[in-house]
Amino acid sequence: MRRDRRMRDVPSDNVITMDHVYKSYAKGAAALNGVSLQIKQGEFVFIVGDSGSGKSTLIKLLLRELTATRGYINVLGYDLTTIKHRKIPKFRRNLGIVFQDFRLLKDRNVYENVAFAQRIIQVSTANIRRNVPSILATVGLADKYKSKPSQLSGGEQQRVALARALVNRPLILLADEPTGNLDPRNSWEIMKLLEQVNQNGTTVVVVTHNKEIVNQMQKRVITMKQGVIVEDEENGGYRDED
Amino acid sequence: MRISTFFYSLGQGFKNLLRKKLFTLASVATIAACLFLFGLFYTILMDFQHVVKTAEEGVSVTVFFNEGVTEEQINQIKIGIEERPEVSQVVYVSSDEAWESFSQEYLGEYADGFTENPLEGEDNLEIYLRDVSRQSALVTYLESLDEVRMVNRSEITATTLSGVNQLIAYISVGIIAILFAVSIFLISNTVTIGISVRREEITIMKYIGATDFFVRAPFVIEGMIIGLIGSLIPLGVIFIIYEKAIAYVEEHFAMLSQVLSFLPVGEIFATLVPITIALGVGIGFIGSAVTVRRHLSV
Repeated sequence: MRRDRRMRDVPSDNVITMDHVYKSYAKGAAALNGVSLQIKQGEFVFIVGDSGSGKSTLIKLLLRELTATRGYINVLGYDLTTIKHRKIPKFRRNLGIVFQDFRLLKDRNVYENVAFAQRIIQVSTANIRRNVPSILATVGLADKYKSKPSQLSGGEQQRVALARALVNRPLILLADEPTGNLDPRNSWEIMKLLEQVNQNGTTVVVVTHNKEIVNQMQKRVITMKQGVIVEDEENGGYRDED
Repeated sequence: MRISTFFYSLGQGFKNLLRKKLFTLASVATIAACLFLFGLFYTILMDFQHVVKTAEEGVSVTVFFNEGVTEEQINQIKIGIEERPEVSQVVYVSSDEAWESFSQEYLGEYADGFTENPLEGEDNLEIYLRDVSRQSALVTYLESLDEVRMVNRSEITATTLSGVNQLIAYISVGIIAILFAVSIFLISNTVTIGISVRREEITIMKYIGATDFFVRAPFVIEGMIIGLIGSLIPLGVIFIIYEKAIAYVEEHFAMLSQVLSFLPVGEIFATLVPITIALGVGIGFIGSAVTVRRHLSV
C-alpha cells in the first residue's frame, strides 16, 4: 500500500519510522531489503541477528551516516531521506550513541571525554562544569574523573562512553553491541544503566548478540536476517536459528 | 560562534601542533625555507628595481627649439610637459649652461680658446621620466610641437630598461607561484596527517553533532599558525643578514657598489613583512581549509 507522503510528516508518538527501506552498497550487495518498522517514544528495543543481517547498516541509517538507496526514514521528525547536509549536526544532537569498542579519546581523562560532547554542541563552560560531574555520578564514576581510559576496566570505559552519550540529554540512545567487549557482570551493569536511562524517558535501541540479556530483559525484540525483519515481538526473546 | 568555542578551537589548533611536534617542525621549517627564498628573492628584486629605477631616472629626453623661440615660450612648453603623468622632472638648460657643461666635460683648459658661445641658440629642456617605457609617447607629443626643432632620446636604453623591468616582473610571478604551490602542498600534507591521527576523534565529533565548521576550525587554525611561524622565521633571518650582506658587498666588491645602490632595510621590510605574513597565513589557511574539506565527509 502506498502511503500519502504528507501523512509521513505528521508528528506522532513514533520517534523512528522506517518504511520499505533498501540499502545497497557500491559492490552491489544489498544490506537492507525493504525494512519497515516504527519505534515509539520511550520504547526499549533490541535489534538482534547474525553478522551480516543488516543491524549495523540500520543503525548507520538512523544516524544518517548512510543514506537509504530507497524508502523513507524519519527520526524525531527529521526526514533522513531529504535532510540537508547542514542540518545533520542539529539532528544528531538529539541522539546518543554507544559503540562496542567504546571509542574514547585515549589522550584525555574521563572528565574531558564527557565534557568533549558538551563542548561540541557549544555548551558554556559553567554548564559543562555542572553537567559532567552529575552524569559521571549517574554512571558511578564520580571518583574516577581524572583517570585516563587506559586506567579503567572495560566496563568502566563503557560507562564513560555512556556518560558521554547521555550528557547532552538525547531523546534516543543508539547502542551498537554495547556489551560486546564486556564480561557478564559488566554487561549487566551496562544494561541496568540503559534500562534506567529508558525509565527516565529516553528511547533506547540496542543492537546486540547477547542472547542471555535479550531473553532476561523481556523487551521488544526485532530480529533481522539477510537484510529483512523476520520477527518483531513485544516482550520477546532471542530467536534461535532453526 | 561563542567566545569559548573560539578559544576551544584555538586551543585544539595549538594542541594539534604539539601532538605531532616533529612533523610540525618539519612543516614550519619547509614553509620557512620557501618563504625565506621568497623574501630573499623579493629583497634582491627590490634592490634591483631600485637600481633600474635610478638608471631610468638618469635617462633623459632633450628637446631643442627652432631659432627665434623665446625663453618665455620655452617656459610655457615646459609647464605643459611637466603636467604629463610619465614626466618626473623638466630642467631648462640655457645655451650658456649647455656650453659650460660641455666645455668642462670635454674641453677643459682648451675651452679658453673660445671667445663666443658656439652653442648660442641651443637652449633646451632636459626631461626625466617616471616610466621609461612611455618615452616614445612623450617623444611623439614633443615632435608635434611647432616650436620644437629636434628631440634627442636614447631608444636602446629605454627599451632595455623597460625590458629588464618586465622580465623581472615575469620571473617574480613565476617564482612566487612555484613557492606558493610547494607551500600549499606541504601544509596540505601536514593537515592530512593531522586528520588521519585524529580520524577517530573527528568521527565521534560528527556523531555527537559537531558542525563542519567546529570540526574544521582547529585544523585551519593549525595551518595558519604553521604559516605564521613559517613566515616570521625567514623575516628575522633576512633582517639579520641583509645589512651584513650589504656591508660585505661594499667591502669586497667596491666596483659593484659604484653601480649598485641598496635600499635601507626599513624600506624593504615596510612591504616585505606584510606580504610575507599574508603569504604564510594565507598559504596555511588555503592549504588546510582545502584539505580538511576534502577529507571530512563523515
